[in-house]
Amino acid sequence: MKTNWFKLALAVLAAITTAAFAQTSFAQAPKAKIAVVVSTLNNPWFVVLADAAKARATELGYDATVFDSQNDTAKEAANFENIIASGYKAILFNATDSSGSVANVRKAKAAGVPVFCIDREINATDAATSQMLSDSYAGCVKLGEYFVKTVGKEGEYAELLGILGDNNTQNRSKGFHSVVDRFPGLKMVAQQSGEFDRAKGLEVMESILQAHPNIKAVFCGNDAMAMGAYQALVSAGKDKQVKVFGFDGADDVVKAIAEGKITATGMQFPKTMARKSAEFADEYIKGKRDFLQKVPVAVELVTKENVSKYGDYGKK
Amino acid sequence: MRVVRWIIALAVAAGVCWLFPLFHVVPLQAAKAEKAAAKFDAAEFADTFWNKRLLPGLDKTVKADVLLAAIQADPAAAKKKFARSVGFSDAYFYFVSGTGRVVSVSDDGVSLAITPGSTNAEVILLAGLIFGDAVRDGTGLLNGSDYSNSQDFNDMSAALDHLVETRVLPGLHEQAKIGAEISFAGCAEVDDEANDLKPLKVIPIQTKTR
Repeated sequence: MKTNWFKLALAVLAAITTAAFAQTSFAQAPKAKIAVVVSTLNNPWFVVLADAAKARATELGYDATVFDSQNDTAKEAANFENIIASGYKAILFNATDSSGSVANVRKAKAAGVPVFCIDREINATDAATSQMLSDSYAGCVKLGEYFVKTVGKEGEYAELLGILGDNNTQNRSKGFHSVVDRFPGLKMVAQQSGEFDRAKGLEVMESILQAHPNIKAVFCGNDAMAMGAYQALVSAGKDKQVKVFGFDGADDVVKAIAEGKITATGMQFPKTMARKSAEFADEYIKGKRDFLQKVPVAVELVTKENVSKYGDYGKK
Repeated sequence: MRVVRWIIALAVAAGVCWLFPLFHVVPLQAAKAEKAAAKFDAAEFADTFWNKRLLPGLDKTVKADVLLAAIQADPAAAKKKFARSVGFSDAYFYFVSGTGRVVSVSDDGVSLAITPGSTNAEVILLAGLIFGDAVRDGTGLLNGSDYSNSQDFNDMSAALDHLVETRVLPGLHEQAKIGAEISFAGCAEVDDEANDLKPLKVIPIQTKTR
């Protein structure tokens, strides 16, 4: 009987030791890696986009890392080289340049790494696995209609464009002008690039105000530039005279709309886009292959009338 | 011997360059023409699409009396059965046709009563400036994934809106007399159900008087 107890104790000890070893080796098994490559982290909107993508990929069990391209295609290319060499399973990608970024995506595809574009389009339909894109054009049609409704059918206005090589810049401007240009009394007296940057938006707006002191409104291709433009208007004492329109749905602009400082913006839902893209990557890694090439995400008009429904980069 | 080798090497190099030239000299005008030909012509594409696919595709519409009855009974069920949407969006489209009697006319729209005996505006045919993507996206005949640059796809939307304004609306303005019966086909975008369903706001693609 004594011998049996001793054997049992030995068996239990062996089982515990085996389980402990197994657990240790299981814990040490590296997680599959997903890269989040973002055009810039110098704009809070893209920080939200990157953080949401990383958080969802982590929730899904991946080791996610964010790479900042600093709005530089060369830096972006270096990030891709690094990612491909480091064995990442998928790339969630916010491009710096619609045309210039295509080569990087093709390189990843050739290496067997699927790329899921978020928010910014690349000009190819055979490179990325899927592209989840804000419908900037339709969003700016709505902004254009609200612009005419609030500014009126006559008067001078200015436009701050984003980065000229980015399709979003052109789609936003074209959507806006598809409406506003139909009203001949509305005259655009200045159109300059603020490069999607708040400081640059402020600087450009200051020079526009010197040359065109009578403008009634400014349409900005993103919210960072809208905040910069608003700052310039406050400094010039013209913040009550000039209506500011942005695009993105950034938290500070949504708050400024509620306070009556900014007139309107287009809510882009960066968290939704980022989370869905991470889920697409997960589905790809698990075997799915039939993805829609372009998945548009609707943009909603945010104004003082409905601002209470929005916040935290989405709908409350 | 060395000279012969050099001659052979130069001959081979010349042959390779001849077969695979490093650059081509092209007249400037020809290069510009080639670039222009490669550019997407939204107006031309919209014209071809309108004649060859959109007008022949009007048989894919849902009948207005059927749709309005379905919306009246259960808007969510009507949406599920008859609407289409694109990507992630709360907005959706109806591709609809029918016949109605003109009950009111304004610069922006022609209001029609569809249900027999009704005097209410149940459909408004938009007749002012046309904006947005309802005609492009409402039919299900075009897909954004087929276009490498979304700017082309968006230019097409503006070109289709322009065709509505130039080909459909002049006739509609002439047809729009109180009491007249108008047959129509078109696209309706529902962005805000509280305002867009009753009456249903339709961008007309074709109208006829009966």
